[in-house]
Amino acid sequence: MNSFDVSMLLSGQYHDWLVSGFALSIKLTLITLVIALPLALLVAVLRLAPLALLRAVGVVFVEAIRNVPLLAHMLFWYFGAPEVLPESLKAWLYERDVEAASAVIALVLYTAAYMSEDIRSGIRSIPKEQMEASRALGFSFLGAMRLVILPQALRVTVPPLIGQTLSLWKNTSIAMVIGVAELMYQAQQVESASFRGFESFAFATGAYLMISLVITGASAWYHHHHPVRSA
Amino acid sequence: MMSKRLMLLVTGALALVPLSSAHADQLQDIKKKGELVCGVLGTDEPFSFIQNPASRAIVGYDVDLCNAVAKSLGVKTTLKQLAVSARIPELQQGRVDLLAASLTHNKEREALIDFSLSTFITGQKVMVKKQSGITRLDQLAGKKVLTVKGSTMEQSIKKAVPTAVIVSFDNSPQAFLALQQGKGVAYVNDETSLIDDASKLGPVAKDYEILPQNLSTEHFALGLKKGESAFREQVNKVLRDLEASGEAEKLFTRWFGPATKMKFPNRPFKLETDKID
Repeated sequence: MNSFDVSMLLSGQYHDWLVSGFALSIKLTLITLVIALPLALLVAVLRLAPLALLRAVGVVFVEAIRNVPLLAHMLFWYFGAPEVLPESLKAWLYERDVEAASAVIALVLYTAAYMSEDIRSGIRSIPKEQMEASRALGFSFLGAMRLVILPQALRVTVPPLIGQTLSLWKNTSIAMVIGVAELMYQAQQVESASFRGFESFAFATGAYLMISLVITGASAWYHHHHPVRSA
Repeated sequence: MMSKRLMLLVTGALALVPLSSAHADQLQDIKKKGELVCGVLGTDEPFSFIQNPASRAIVGYDVDLCNAVAKSLGVKTTLKQLAVSARIPELQQGRVDLLAASLTHNKEREALIDFSLSTFITGQKVMVKKQSGITRLDQLAGKKVLTVKGSTMEQSIKKAVPTAVIVSFDNSPQAFLALQQGKGVAYVNDETSLIDDASKLGPVAKDYEILPQNLSTEHFALGLKKGESAFREQVNKVLRDLEASGEAEKLFTRWFGPATKMKFPNRPFKLETDKID
């Protein structure tokens, strides 16, 4: 085809589309992260809870989500799940940005399932005698978790959590199947409107790479400044 | 892209082959040999298709137009089934006299062949649920409109209703499902696809409606070898006569009318022009 036209990436309508897709991808990542982290922590604690029923809830959540592809989650939360809502609520929801909302739900659950496993590993890396000692000193299970175990465990967990954030950033691209106008969606739009596929996907690739490198850099920085201490 | 390149290659190679005899006039030649060879697809219902697998006969709207031209010349029709990409080369090589093969008339092709008057004009349209109360395109302003990604549909709806919020999906079943679920008020596709989609709904199809306005138009025409002006004039005369006698209307009703699968309530065009947008 023709030569690489950088100017269309720097200004004009196609530039605007790509930038808006980029901004939406970042927004999806941040919103998902903010909701998924506490949820992941909750699930991790559930899986280590003294009650068998609570542990079972945690196991079911993690396994049900991790064993289904993200693409299927997206399609389910967009085409399937909202259909069981009552008519009035459905109409209210569908007038809004149900595409982005469904994408966030799918990404939150998917990311939380993986993050909870990382957090659980972190907690298990703290010798179990610490929990036993805390309980012997009169702490409740939650008290011991909050004051003794988690502060140490979360420190160990930060590098894998940054890794999950990197996956999350890349996973936002799947939202395009349910019509969310994120970066990959916009890159395709630009391609079909202008036949400038090379330029638009170069922009998308560059953008994913840039943010991914920033996330990787954050991981390296953390590792350097907060090395894992042996417990 | 590929087929276009292939086509150019074939036509380029042909240009090197000297024609055995200079055609004085294709019209006279057709009369002399006593047959009009029409190139058809045979796979595109209801334009040209095999209705009855036992007889293998190709019938359809395009075929009837061919027959009308042959009849006016007092010759018999011979149908030749062609692949989509082979249409223009076969015509240029003179293996067929006339293309009646769901052929879209566009500017790029005018450099290669001539076109008759438009024989079928269709377009991209908008489907809505009847209960939405939407009857005109401008009522879509600010509303969610669903369509298929990577298509020219997105551009045509954007052009027709600049404020519409367009949500695109990977394929048309997904976009149509989103319309059924009420995730948008309208669904854009070409008219034949819309009719096909609606027909799959069964009895519920009556709850849906296709707005009459076209977002973009596509003109089908008969294809002729370049520069055969006498033959072209003859073909156009046949088409104009079909229109004048009401025969064109009957043909349309036979293949696209309310009693057919296509269920067009009326004919949105006439056989009168070879102008394209």
